[in-house]
Amino acid sequence: MPDGLSFDRVSLRHAAAKADTVGPLSLSLREGERVLLLGPSGVGKSTLLQAATGLFPRSIPGEARGRIRLKGQPVESRPPAGWADTCGFLFQDAAQTLAGFTVRDEIAFGPENRGVAAARIPGLVTEAMRRAGIPPGWAERRISTLSGGERQLVALAALLAQDAPVTLADEPAANLSPEAARRMASLLLAPGRTTLVVEHRPGPITDHVERCVVLGRDGRVIADGPSLEVMTRDAALVAEAGIALPLAAHLHLILPDLIEPGLPLRETLRRVPTAQRGRVRDAVLPSPGTAGKALVTLDRADCAPAFGPVVLRNLSLTLHAGEVLAILGPNGAGKSTLAAYLTGLLPPRAGRRTGPPGAVAFQNPEAHFSRESVRAEIEGLGHAEDGVARILADWALATVADQHPFTLSQGQKRRLSLALLAETDRWPVLVLDEPTAGLDGAAEAMLGRRIRALARDGRALAVITHDMDFALAVADRAIVLNHGRVQFDGPCPALMRDRAMLGSAGLLPPEAAPVLDWLEAAC
Amino acid sequence: MLKAFHPLPKLALCLVWIVASLVVFRLSFQIALFAAATLLLLFDARVPPRRLLLLMVPFALFGFGFFTTSVLFRAESGFAVLMAREQGGAPDVAPGLVLFFRVLACGMISAVFTLTTDPGQFVRALIQHARLPAQVGFALMQAMHMVPDLRAEMLQLRMARAIRLGRPLRRVPGPGEAIALAIPLLAWAIRRASRAALSFEARGLQPGRGRTQLPQPPVLRMDWVCLLGGLGFLALLLAFLPR
Repeated sequence: MPDGLSFDRVSLRHAAAKADTVGPLSLSLREGERVLLLGPSGVGKSTLLQAATGLFPRSIPGEARGRIRLKGQPVESRPPAGWADTCGFLFQDAAQTLAGFTVRDEIAFGPENRGVAAARIPGLVTEAMRRAGIPPGWAERRISTLSGGERQLVALAALLAQDAPVTLADEPAANLSPEAARRMASLLLAPGRTTLVVEHRPGPITDHVERCVVLGRDGRVIADGPSLEVMTRDAALVAEAGIALPLAAHLHLILPDLIEPGLPLRETLRRVPTAQRGRVRDAVLPSPGTAGKALVTLDRADCAPAFGPVVLRNLSLTLHAGEVLAILGPNGAGKSTLAAYLTGLLPPRAGRRTGPPGAVAFQNPEAHFSRESVRAEIEGLGHAEDGVARILADWALATVADQHPFTLSQGQKRRLSLALLAETDRWPVLVLDEPTAGLDGAAEAMLGRRIRALARDGRALAVITHDMDFALAVADRAIVLNHGRVQFDGPCPALMRDRAMLGSAGLLPPEAAPVLDWLEAAC
Repeated sequence: MLKAFHPLPKLALCLVWIVASLVVFRLSFQIALFAAATLLLLFDARVPPRRLLLLMVPFALFGFGFFTTSVLFRAESGFAVLMAREQGGAPDVAPGLVLFFRVLACGMISAVFTLTTDPGQFVRALIQHARLPAQVGFALMQAMHMVPDLRAEMLQLRMARAIRLGRPLRRVPGPGEAIALAIPLLAWAIRRASRAALSFEARGLQPGRGRTQLPQPPVLRMDWVCLLGGLGFLALLLAFLPR
């Protein structure tokens, strides 16, 4: 039986690039096999997926060498659109790739293109909506009225309706709340379908795949095997490539004498002497900071997106100097809206804001770019030449310093946008909106350290995130926004142990929850 | 009733009304068409009067331009006078006034169609019944998605710019800001369109390939009744309104 998908000594190079983006790489997926492809940001994982159906280099200019076969046939034997009956594609940014006007149109798009009998299509749409957990009432909803997470869910339903035996998914859980990400993983990776999922960190996907393939920084395979085996046997190699490890593997790397590899976290923690709680604590929680004077205060403020209706009412919140606040909540709770009010970009519709102006690092990093190269963007901050070189090196941007910001990978764009705000002392208040989206493990760890350093310098920071472990690692305090109000305001570790509170807001406990429970018991 | 009216006969009726407004140079006819369209919007489509007035502003400004040109520069409005004479317009009626109400009538008839028609359903109907190529139809739908997203993108760009310049966000962008935003917005639109095209291709949309259609509402007897009713109303206006 031919493989579902195979890459044989494949190298891919974008037009005008001086070096190969990917490869040479060989990788095969058996029929029905589900594989997670991990790699640091910028190594061409998305390009590899696009090459699987010939989109690269037929529609995206570039050069491909080696052989790619889908269901045993050379990928060049059909145009990219001709593979739609064999291979379904879930794109990284569903918001920008949906085709239909309403949810029903969108889900029907794939079956229509396949020429499925018109009478069968409504049934396929209904069934796909049911499987994806989309309420029947959404069928006539316009796509433009859906939140980012909802659009991702509709894209998944459209993929299910397309019913192709091979699925390719590019960071499908990015921008989803933890609960939505878990549901996405279980639906996307149902047994029996050949599936290749690209991610730059192991997450809920890991539990649903048979195999994990890891790309190194040079775009070649550095580890390949069952997920658990790769994450234990090759943990050091994976971490060195800049990929975040599951918490147990990460703790084993930094506390090898305390944490045993390959065991569930709760089990291995039972064997750790309580006298070691300080070391365990330092591994998962930030060093306690000292919150200074109140820097920004919202007093009974009504907050609304510009030109939109009020989404947060009567909100009172204080942000202190030297403090890192995590802003959590389900998709559409008003977290990004709050950012504009905390920084003073928009005046409250009612109530009052006091404090100096601040800056927001937007979800779309491209909004921050205004110059012709990465170097020019950094030079615009007013640093001396050696300062510019230091910033480029610190944010791992030295190799792309002369590129136009729009040509960077998503992770590189994210790093540049954060550097532009963090490497100047113009703003005492910084709000970072989903700062870890598109970042690999190494960049995320560096960002965490940078956030803590900025807080130590006396700045007030707020981090909007769906990544509960990142929130736990950087934030002293957390708020949960839900149903237009602040549902929780208190220490971040306390929230992460409050499963009822998290559940009521559609959030899940972090991976580090067993460590928090152990620390509580050890005290 | 108008919202349930099938988009294609409704489009045909609106086009006939607009063509009639363009070829009949009679003040009473233009006023009657304008009044009929406005009443339909008020009482059938339930458009709030305030919104309706706001909607009329650009058409009224445009029509007022015709009116003032006609009144103040009579020598230059010869073409309008000639049209009026050819179409039986009374010499004592200011041609500018007819042009003013023609603009309003055409504007309100267009509004009747756009405010009572689901754009997605309209494009779907064009693909199914008027042989609009699916590539063009889905490109139109994508363009309709882009309008609200473009607004959100522009807002984010404006906020980022306000942050860079260290000042609060202005309610309305000044000319300098508008110019500075043009290129990033254009770049965004091009990238967005490229991603959408890739997505369409990956999901099997290609020219010349046979595809089926999600069943769309058919044209019902009631739609034909509405179409004939609208045409009959037009005939009555033409027959009985004073020349």
